[in-house]
Amino acid sequence: MTIQPRIRRTRSGTLPSGVSRTVGSATASLRSLCFRRSVLLAGLIAAASGLLIAAAPAVSAITAATGTSGDGWIQLAHLSPNTPPVDVYLYSFGNPRARIVLDHVAYGTVSPYEKVASGEYTVAMRAAGAKPGSPPVLSTNVTIVTGRAYTVAGMGPASGLRLQVLRDRLTTPKGVSLVRVVQASLRDQKVTVTAGPQMLARGLAFGSVTGYGTADPGTWIVHVSGMSGIATQSLTLTAGTIHTLVVLDGASGLMIDNLVNAAGSAVMPKGGAATGLGGTAPVPAPSPVPWTALIAAGALCAGAAAYWLRRARYQARHAR
Amino acid sequence: MEAGRPGSPARRPVPTGRKSRHAGHSHPSHQVPRRAVAAALLCGGLLAVGGGLMLLTGPAAHPGISPGPVAHPAKPPAGVIVAPPGPVTGATVPRPVYLSIPAIDVHTRLIRLGLTAQGTLQVPASTSVAGWYTASPRPGQVGSAIIAGHIDSYTGPGVFFRLRLLRPGDRVYVRHTNGTLAVFRVYAERTYAKDRFPTVKVYGPAPDPELRLITCGGTFDPATGSYLSNVVVYAAQIR
Repeated sequence: MTIQPRIRRTRSGTLPSGVSRTVGSATASLRSLCFRRSVLLAGLIAAASGLLIAAAPAVSAITAATGTSGDGWIQLAHLSPNTPPVDVYLYSFGNPRARIVLDHVAYGTVSPYEKVASGEYTVAMRAAGAKPGSPPVLSTNVTIVTGRAYTVAGMGPASGLRLQVLRDRLTTPKGVSLVRVVQASLRDQKVTVTAGPQMLARGLAFGSVTGYGTADPGTWIVHVSGMSGIATQSLTLTAGTIHTLVVLDGASGLMIDNLVNAAGSAVMPKGGAATGLGGTAPVPAPSPVPWTALIAAGALCAGAAAYWLRRARYQARHAR
Repeated sequence: MEAGRPGSPARRPVPTGRKSRHAGHSHPSHQVPRRAVAAALLCGGLLAVGGGLMLLTGPAAHPGISPGPVAHPAKPPAGVIVAPPGPVTGATVPRPVYLSIPAIDVHTRLIRLGLTAQGTLQVPASTSVAGWYTASPRPGQVGSAIIAGHIDSYTGPGVFFRLRLLRPGDRVYVRHTNGTLAVFRVYAERTYAKDRFPTVKVYGPAPDPELRLITCGGTFDPATGSYLSNVVVYAAQIR
């Protein structure tokens, strides 16, 4: 009884060979991936022998990963309308233990950003509830660079599901917002998106993403229009914020999801802050030069005066 | 030498010093001021020597006040801890009103800060409270929330006197107007020269809910009355 779950963990550990570099095979519709008993039993022996070897480095690697401060960010999303819910795994390259596991991620779900150490990662998707060790339906590699943020999203129709890595911006030009649009509605193959007078996307095809465009701060009505209808939503943009608008298929018609990729100060202060008055600062010893000079000058004056007085007295005495 | 000895006639073409001695004899009234001048010079010189020595060895340097070791966190402040927001900005987080950092015994209300006329970050008028920059995201909302406080006043420690002692892992709590708490974990502590302050890194966008706690540090420049560096503590909201 105790062996069974541990073996499953170890198996989960091993990323099935050949999947890590593929970005979704053409047949990538989600299959239910059960293990046959025989496979399980065969794997048992191999896995059990590998358990001790595999587990030790995995544990230390996880400790190391959580012990350091994160260097980059990643968020995971399911944006394929007709694909059933999935479990999403994030593996640090070379580490068979999943760094993050998101269970039962349904269409339209976007995780918060996860801060991770920079390096190579693999994102794998399995059917919701599939065993962690089963071959993933889909996987892709992503290189996380220090200080950068990424969205890895399952995109496209279920029949052509792919994992797309989007590079997310983290800085805006002064005084504006950045907005991009992800078209994840299958109901409308092409949509046009505006925010007030500003055009955000024109005839954007299903499964595609615009680049970031600048948008003026303010509260705007976002219009999404396609063949099947329109959707509107209020959108408040603050300078210094970066948004992704996701066009989704709702229960009845289009939906707009406003994701905040990043936010900073609307007006960036100049330089640092004058947050100290010096009451606890050490006062450095003053330079000894002026005081030494004063002493020398004083000694010279006093010496000269003494000499003068003495001589005057001497001469006065002898003059009598 | 030989010529000088015999008698007064040789003395006639005298150098000024001797002449003055003669003058002193013939007009004794002049003798007193000259002696007085000499005496004054003597006294002044001695005073200068004494004063100089006193200042040289006297209360010259003051070592400054150093923060003692930090106490390790007791318990978090009361309040319902809220989870960090997801990327969807449906709910807005209420305004922050109180800051607790148990590790360095900071418990302060948060005032609201804007910008100065010069465009720099406004700082609290009181050195015993911290403030939140209202043009930055609210603590607990996605983005980098800016909180500033003084390291010291003219006479002693300020609210962020021990800020630079925070280390990765220390907890920072921000209470909102509705009583909820956002919990942050310190992940970095940096000191930047004010003339090379990385404004984009500190005030620029962040993709997760973060705090930037700012105070002064480094060397104090008495000439300008300000510290030459800023200490910035980075913390991210924990789930």
